[in-house]
Amino acid sequence: MSTTAGTTASPTGLADPDELDLRLPVSYLADGHSVRSWLLTTDHKRIAILYAITITVFFFIGGAAATLVRLELATPEADVLRADTYNKLFTLHGVVMVWFFLIPSIPNTLGNFLVPLMIGARDVAYPKLNLISWYLNLGGGLLAVAALLAGGVDTGWTFYVPYSTVFSNTWVSLTVLGVFTTGFSSIATGVNFIGTVHLLRAPGMTWFRLPLFVWAMYTTSLMFVLATPVLAVTLLLVFAERTFGLPIFDPARGGDPILFQHLFWFYSHPAVYIMVLPAMGVVSELITCFSRRKVFGYTFMVYALVAIAVIGFFTWGHHMFTSGMSPYAALVFSFLSFIVAVPSAIKVFNWTGTLYRGQVGFESPMLYALGFVGLFTLGGLTGLFLASIPVDVHVQDTYFVVAHFHYIMVGASVSAYFGGLHFWWPKITGRTYPETWARFAAILMFFGFNLTFFPQFIAGYLGMPRRYHVYPPEFQIWNVLSSAGAAVLAAAYLMPLGYLTWSLLFGERAGNNPWDASGLEWRTSSPPPRRNFFGSPRVQGGPYNYHPEGVAPVHDQPRLPSRGSLT
Amino acid sequence: MSAKSPKSETPKSEPPKSETPDPEGPGIVWRRNLPVWVVLMALLALSTWAAYWPYGRIDTAIGFGIAGAKTALVALVFMQLKHASGLVRIVAACGLFWAAILFTLTLADVLSRMANR
Amino acid sequence: MSRVEIEARLREPWSELETDPGTAFARQRDGATLGIWIFLASEVLFFGALFLTYTAARLAHPEAFAAAGRETNIVYGTLNTAILLTSSLTMAVASQAAETGLFRRLTLRCLAATAALGLAFLVVKGFEYREDIEKHLVPGAHFALDRGPAQIFFAFYWLVTVVHAIHLSIGIVLVVRLTVKGWRDPDILAENPQVEVTALYWHLVDLVWVFLYPMLYLPGRSG
Repeated sequence: MSTTAGTTASPTGLADPDELDLRLPVSYLADGHSVRSWLLTTDHKRIAILYAITITVFFFIGGAAATLVRLELATPEADVLRADTYNKLFTLHGVVMVWFFLIPSIPNTLGNFLVPLMIGARDVAYPKLNLISWYLNLGGGLLAVAALLAGGVDTGWTFYVPYSTVFSNTWVSLTVLGVFTTGFSSIATGVNFIGTVHLLRAPGMTWFRLPLFVWAMYTTSLMFVLATPVLAVTLLLVFAERTFGLPIFDPARGGDPILFQHLFWFYSHPAVYIMVLPAMGVVSELITCFSRRKVFGYTFMVYALVAIAVIGFFTWGHHMFTSGMSPYAALVFSFLSFIVAVPSAIKVFNWTGTLYRGQVGFESPMLYALGFVGLFTLGGLTGLFLASIPVDVHVQDTYFVVAHFHYIMVGASVSAYFGGLHFWWPKITGRTYPETWARFAAILMFFGFNLTFFPQFIAGYLGMPRRYHVYPPEFQIWNVLSSAGAAVLAAAYLMPLGYLTWSLLFGERAGNNPWDASGLEWRTSSPPPRRNFFGSPRVQGGPYNYHPEGVAPVHDQPRLPSRGSLT
Repeated sequence: MSAKSPKSETPKSEPPKSETPDPEGPGIVWRRNLPVWVVLMALLALSTWAAYWPYGRIDTAIGFGIAGAKTALVALVFMQLKHASGLVRIVAACGLFWAAILFTLTLADVLSRMANR
Repeated sequence: MSRVEIEARLREPWSELETDPGTAFARQRDGATLGIWIFLASEVLFFGALFLTYTAARLAHPEAFAAAGRETNIVYGTLNTAILLTSSLTMAVASQAAETGLFRRLTLRCLAATAALGLAFLVVKGFEYREDIEKHLVPGAHFALDRGPAQIFFAFYWLVTVVHAIHLSIGIVLVVRLTVKGWRDPDILAENPQVEVTALYWHLVDLVWVFLYPMLYLPGRSG
């Protein structure tokens, strides 16, 4: 992207004492060291850091629960956990991972940090609302996790009625209240991003010059704003039925439990796209940078994002084919679910097209991104199995479904989150990390993931149901493979925690643009100052200016190594 | 919102037509909104009365139709959607459109289950 | 407003736009309007989902809903609808008067009237709740009507009116806050985006009630 921002000053690491002579503003990290300056900050970059800390804690809480679940499933008998403890653990895993890690992961950390930077703004449109959203997320998270750990909930993350309202004797009400609170944090974030993208783009930053990551955040925000209130209502109804005895869904009094599922999945299906659209945004940035090529079919990538965001709202019924829903409605939902595969396929095609004849480099963020494309494709294709009614009836509530959505939500979204974290880590912290370790972790994560979840496709197709702590011995081989993979995956997830922490303390200073990437966020210092830019950014061209306009890509030449020492 | 800023200037830029410029000002605001309120009250009375007509389902339709009419009046005049920017109108329309998705697809299931019971 | 006054009102990030304060303030205003409208779109989905549960239950149990609808107090309901519609009028006048920046006293009086009408609504609602409890219209073991689905109607009634009352209470707090601010500092309300934001929220809460009226008070009146 050709911009004039920061080209005059071109500063490097900020804590270098010589630089103080240039009278550059201090970085956002150095702009106040008190606890108060963090907890009451309205700086989008600091709020991103706050979010990053909380979701990391939640990620490891949810991960610990998954570890226990996988440990129990290593043998067909119940030897580690009792049935009700097992139920509480998979509920804890689901609730924490979905609402307190995955949903806020990319939007609230990378999105918060990058959206204003990428569009050349000083901050988000409503900075105080941004801070409030973090407190809502934290408050809801603490409430839900306290309930899930102290008393436990055995309904699964879906809180299906009438089990959750009439039968379950666990701490459903408090957990539901926690998730309800967190919903408002999502809405606040959505309002903020939409307002920011509409109103605070730098001069020259037209809609079709926005980086795809910003488009992804924008479309995700649409879903935040339009889907989350329905979840709020659904959980409110469960809360009211449990706590005040107001029967809305109670079949004994003429209520309709399937209605609950409609409302729940009206949110929770788009929620899958809330998790995966930001990942698509991240991966689009990574692949174009590490192939040194302009994104193939930029406008189609944009339209595909918008199409996924809109069509994603029409497909929720495919979660309910075996619920007793009308078969006519099931047909409609099945058809609509196939349609949403089209824009997803366009995106995979265009990522591949971007790689074609590019000067592909295999730095750690790119390894995560390539892992994403493979895992997303597999997860997406198995989604088509589940969208067709006959196959779905066969594999509904088996490990096939578990494997499918983990491919999308963990294989795709978490890979992209780690990829983005590594890519923008030098920008966020001003430090470099040990690249060899990072590549090793990325490769380990890919293999660990496949070892964990691919056997679940097979076990599920053979008929192993979800949510049981014991199972027939014939499924043991697949479960042992899966549990072994989970151990590898756990190691792969712990490694970044180690070397990224190390890099915070001992990492080398990062340059302003260590990847030689385009984009406004690389046109300011690492880490950026409180006001993001030194001058006022002006945009004169489209994104991803990796080779000159109208010139064919250069072939058969050694690829330029990334600038800066990332080894 | 581009439409709004010139509109808010009109009372200022208007020449004082009458001898009493200050009371004339508030009159403009009242004249714009009071008729809407009168219509709203009439609609309320009508919907209350119509609920007692012995036509069954038509009464229900009238009740919700009137609620829709009231909504249109409040949104267009009181909420100034009539003078709002295109963006704000799109946002308002999006809320309604997505609510329509929720209603249509859910009721498609609920109604077809009822029809086949 | 003078340049100094405008600059005093600019907030981040609008204060750092590379334009003159007047343009920046106009954009800050637009930002406030857009933000609240996005939130209102979200609220439409919130109440839309609630209304959908009502619609589905009513389609399944029309007789029970008619029988239950006859038990609500139409006098209180109609009175409250009139109160809220009137409060929307005063709120709209307050907002539009503040927008011109000329009619300080009118803005202040209309804001006070809006808050008073909101409180009046809550008082009427309180009387209605007392009557409902006396008539055993709370779902549970002592519920007055024998039909099961009638309990769903009243479950919805209690839930949605309480949720609406919470929304309205938030609105009253916001309006009172503006009134107090405007009373202390007469210039603060003129062209202040907060008045429009509060007004838009208030109108939405009113519109929710406009739909609750035929849902809760009009079914079964002719039978």
